[in-house]
Amino acid sequence: MPVLKGKELRIVGFLCNWCSYGGADTAGVGRFNQPTDLRIIRVPCSGRIDPLFIMKTLLNGADGVLVSGCHPRDCHYAEGNFYARRRLEVLHRFLPILGIEPGRFEYTWVSASEGQRWQQVVTRFTEQIHKLGPAPKIAGPAASETLRQMEAAL
Amino acid sequence: MKIGVFVCHCGSNIEGTVDTAAVAAAAREFPGVAFATDTMYTCSEPGQEEIVNAIKEHQLDGVVVASCTPRMHEQTFRRTVERAGLNRYLFEMANIREHVSWIGKDREANTNKATELVRMAASKLLHNRPLLSKQFDINKRVLIIGGGVAGIQAALDCAEGGLEVILVEKTTTIGGKMAKLDKTFPTVDCSCCILGPRMVDVAQHPNITLYAYSEIEEVSGYVGNFEVKVKKKATYVDWDKCTGCGICMTKCPSKKATDFFNEGIGKTTAINIPFPQAIPKKAKIDANFCMKLQKGKCGICAKVCPSGCIDFTQQDEFVTEKVGAIVAATGFDLFDWTVYGEYGGGRYPDVITSLQYERMLSASGPTGGHIKRPSDGKEPKNVVFIQCVGSRDKSVGRPYCTGFCCMYTAKQAILTKDHLPEAQTYVFYMDIRATGKNYDEFTRRAMEEYNAKYIRGRVSMIYPKGDSLLVRGADTLMGTQVEVDADLVVLAVGADSSAGAAGLAEKLRISYDSYGFYMEGHPKLKPVETNTAGVYLAGCCQGPKDIPSSVAQGSAAASKVLGLFSKDKLASDPQVSVVDIKRCIGCGKCIKTCPFGAIKEIDFRGMKKAEVIETVCQGCGICTSTCPQGAAQLQHFTDNQILSEVNALCQF
Amino acid sequence: MKYQQELKDSIRKALPGLDVVIAWSAGYDPLHATPHFIRREEDIDRLEIGPFSVHNLATYLPGLRGKKVGIVVKGCDSRSVIELLQENLINREEVTIFGFPCTGVVDQTKIRKALGHTGKVDFCQIASQTVVIGLGGEEHKLRLSKVLADKCFSCQYPNALISDHFVGEKISPSVQTEGDDDLEAFEKMPMDERFAFWQKEMDRCIRCYACRNACPMCVCRDHCLAESRDPHWLSQEDSVRDKWMFQLIHAYHLAGRCTECGECQRACPMDIPLLLLKKKMNKEIKELFQYEAGVDPEATPPLLSFKMEEENINEREW
Repeated sequence: MPVLKGKELRIVGFLCNWCSYGGADTAGVGRFNQPTDLRIIRVPCSGRIDPLFIMKTLLNGADGVLVSGCHPRDCHYAEGNFYARRRLEVLHRFLPILGIEPGRFEYTWVSASEGQRWQQVVTRFTEQIHKLGPAPKIAGPAASETLRQMEAAL
Repeated sequence: MKIGVFVCHCGSNIEGTVDTAAVAAAAREFPGVAFATDTMYTCSEPGQEEIVNAIKEHQLDGVVVASCTPRMHEQTFRRTVERAGLNRYLFEMANIREHVSWIGKDREANTNKATELVRMAASKLLHNRPLLSKQFDINKRVLIIGGGVAGIQAALDCAEGGLEVILVEKTTTIGGKMAKLDKTFPTVDCSCCILGPRMVDVAQHPNITLYAYSEIEEVSGYVGNFEVKVKKKATYVDWDKCTGCGICMTKCPSKKATDFFNEGIGKTTAINIPFPQAIPKKAKIDANFCMKLQKGKCGICAKVCPSGCIDFTQQDEFVTEKVGAIVAATGFDLFDWTVYGEYGGGRYPDVITSLQYERMLSASGPTGGHIKRPSDGKEPKNVVFIQCVGSRDKSVGRPYCTGFCCMYTAKQAILTKDHLPEAQTYVFYMDIRATGKNYDEFTRRAMEEYNAKYIRGRVSMIYPKGDSLLVRGADTLMGTQVEVDADLVVLAVGADSSAGAAGLAEKLRISYDSYGFYMEGHPKLKPVETNTAGVYLAGCCQGPKDIPSSVAQGSAAASKVLGLFSKDKLASDPQVSVVDIKRCIGCGKCIKTCPFGAIKEIDFRGMKKAEVIETVCQGCGICTSTCPQGAAQLQHFTDNQILSEVNALCQF
Repeated sequence: MKYQQELKDSIRKALPGLDVVIAWSAGYDPLHATPHFIRREEDIDRLEIGPFSVHNLATYLPGLRGKKVGIVVKGCDSRSVIELLQENLINREEVTIFGFPCTGVVDQTKIRKALGHTGKVDFCQIASQTVVIGLGGEEHKLRLSKVLADKCFSCQYPNALISDHFVGEKISPSVQTEGDDDLEAFEKMPMDERFAFWQKEMDRCIRCYACRNACPMCVCRDHCLAESRDPHWLSQEDSVRDKWMFQLIHAYHLAGRCTECGECQRACPMDIPLLLLKKKMNKEIKELFQYEAGVDPEATPPLLSFKMEEENINEREW
């Protein structure tokens, strides 16, 4: 299932369960229209997001990765987003050496009540990625074939 | 694995913009999926029955429901699959309502996105493992931190419920801020008369152990089994012997000690019992002012004490208490209003705080209940009240409304008139917030019956003028400048979080907001819980509130504790981190970063290894993203589970 | 090397209390040294230190835990020892550190670039600033500065930062280049060229893991993510994606830990410029947190700590 050709780009979001995932729900409940590109992976805390997940996602061909967690000091687990901030900032600054535009990865904070803010974040990020266009892809065997092998391995 | 996929229409909520039948059809092609269908209302009883039947009929061992947010119905469906004999963690949800159908109308894009979310859920499910919770014993004693009205209420309710209660109070007496008040709104009844008996109940209750003049030094353990180290600060008085007779106070020659209880209105003796109804009624020596402790000369109190309880060599003492739950009821402190240069910044003696005024109004206060100007002791004619001092003011970093100042200002205006019938009161206000039962009527009485002049506007400056003060401000309703000659100015100072709040929060491992107020578990549905299991909140430590709300929270926290202790054993959440001992190299990075102290170092055949204390682990996964070997894996959110989601979404 | 005898004497004195002392000795030809494990007194004589003492011997330490180990370190190697101490991967009381003032080591790749594949070398003499290599009866003269490793030009720590026995006089760093030229040059390239560059470089990777095995901070040993199924970060495929991902895992796992000893790149048989990734990581870590790995055994690395308010992170701008 590729993204809709010509319409969408591949954007993956990693959201903490307590704040941003809730904020995305709040945006849904409020029927705040958003671009359809984003696919959300739910994690318990932004501190759970190993920056390597983001590198993996980007190498796997994502055009953009968005991370969102609780605002600093509002972490459900007290400190998770403080660790996340350092690690994600390092990643953000590291990506250009690989030839990946730093704008393909952003991280931000959205609370469970900020439905409107979530709508703005998604819209803005999606626009940013569309402006950058499709990410360069690693040349290699067809996706379906590799995936079949990978699933066999997993 | 044989996975069953159920795509919910949610009436037209989803079906309106998502072709659910197409999603189900696509899902049949996904690895592991043995059965897929679309259903009208999956969460309804027939919808759940359908899942149960499908599990049995198709021997499914995993279920994906594509419907609303898991924050809504994850628990519901987990119970459903459990009813059909599956482990509750062999279940995943795809959020195709809040994250798909409700946020866009493009049916093609929505159907495609919903299909991908189902694919993602199914591929994660392939890596799910059954998880089982463990049972553990609980210690049915409760620690209550803070002996204000909220803490007192929580302590009495718990004690009445048959629990052993440890009450720790920072100062030498319980009672908190309420004990300092003269009267309470809107009934104008005597604060000490209603609180006093409750304080006595605490002292006399067989289930309550009170540590006054004590603080929390250290907290370890987890819900059901906390271990708390309490520091009993040195009072230089043996409280086992002290009878509270007060002879020492009458003879103490050092009479310039700060009178904390009276908010610095007047001075007191170095050895001191703060007020007649103090519980425990025991004396304490203020080491900063005691001549014996400072200069080695004096010791009069020791000579006059009939029970021989003075001990100048006393040291801080530590006791350890084991409890199963903790209630934080640490209250608030007054905002430091001296940052307001326009109010004199503390230079004018006749500009005082509302709590100082309260002590002045109190018959047992330093002025014996007479309103006197601190500068010359004269009775004031014009008394000006200024509201929102350190409330609703971004410029001093306090954008929130303290909430109870409007009410106590009205009360103080009424009491002023009661004490000094000739006096005129003025109240500068921003808005009047009187939303409680009988509150608005009360502020109206202050204006209509007690002739308090309410002026809507802020004060721009206070100047000294002769022996009185000139208060200049705006009247925004009239659109004019106003100047009032004031003999006394009372500032309605807002509430700040208690000075040691952040430090205690870190010991308790609970979170606090940027103002230092403790965070409740959920702003609406978990008002007295915290995100640390077994730690509850009561009163102003969670945010400013008036006495009835504080008492209600005290009771609420107590009922939570009693509810927790109604079981004999607690079940742990199995979504915790687990360390693969073979992969662990004992570097201790996880121990360093765990916010809950839930990982300990163990010795395994002479090698250092990490081990998770399941009952302490809260399941954040910081250790998992910290461990370079991937040895620590947060169950249900393992690397493999998240990677399978990534791989399902990004296929190069 | 000036202090070689002094060092030997020092080791001789300490050896009775130690299980092994790790140093260098002459390798298979005059251009190479090899790690040398001194267990008996007669082993001491073969010890040689000098410009060919390239290996970072700290790599061996975690594997020798529980034994009394002596180790000879250059300044850069000592930072790896500090890092291992900081991470509790070795015990200070089990390790005896011998330090000496290092004046730089050679980069074999540079020699190879100058002389081609040398084959058998007759002799090699280093006299002050010149390297004379005898090759098939001919003498080749190379300026020492042309064949020294890049890291030596920006070396801040020529003396061991931590040692129990230090031979010779401590020397002051002779920093010849500020910052990092190759990183700066690389960062001037357009994004798409960088992406293409790595794709090409990673395509040459043969997945031998020499980079990992030489790295003193790659302490996972048998539990490397590269060969694990739980968690399953990488497949065993020979794909650019997996090989690149492995280097990213390596670089990120070294964030705040890498001392830029350069062993990964030195060990790489394909001469893939792996150190570039680590230099970039270190540069950002230093800018963000003013932190340098391997200097203070008591420090907490930046990614294992945080501040409520970060001075250099302004994430709210996005």
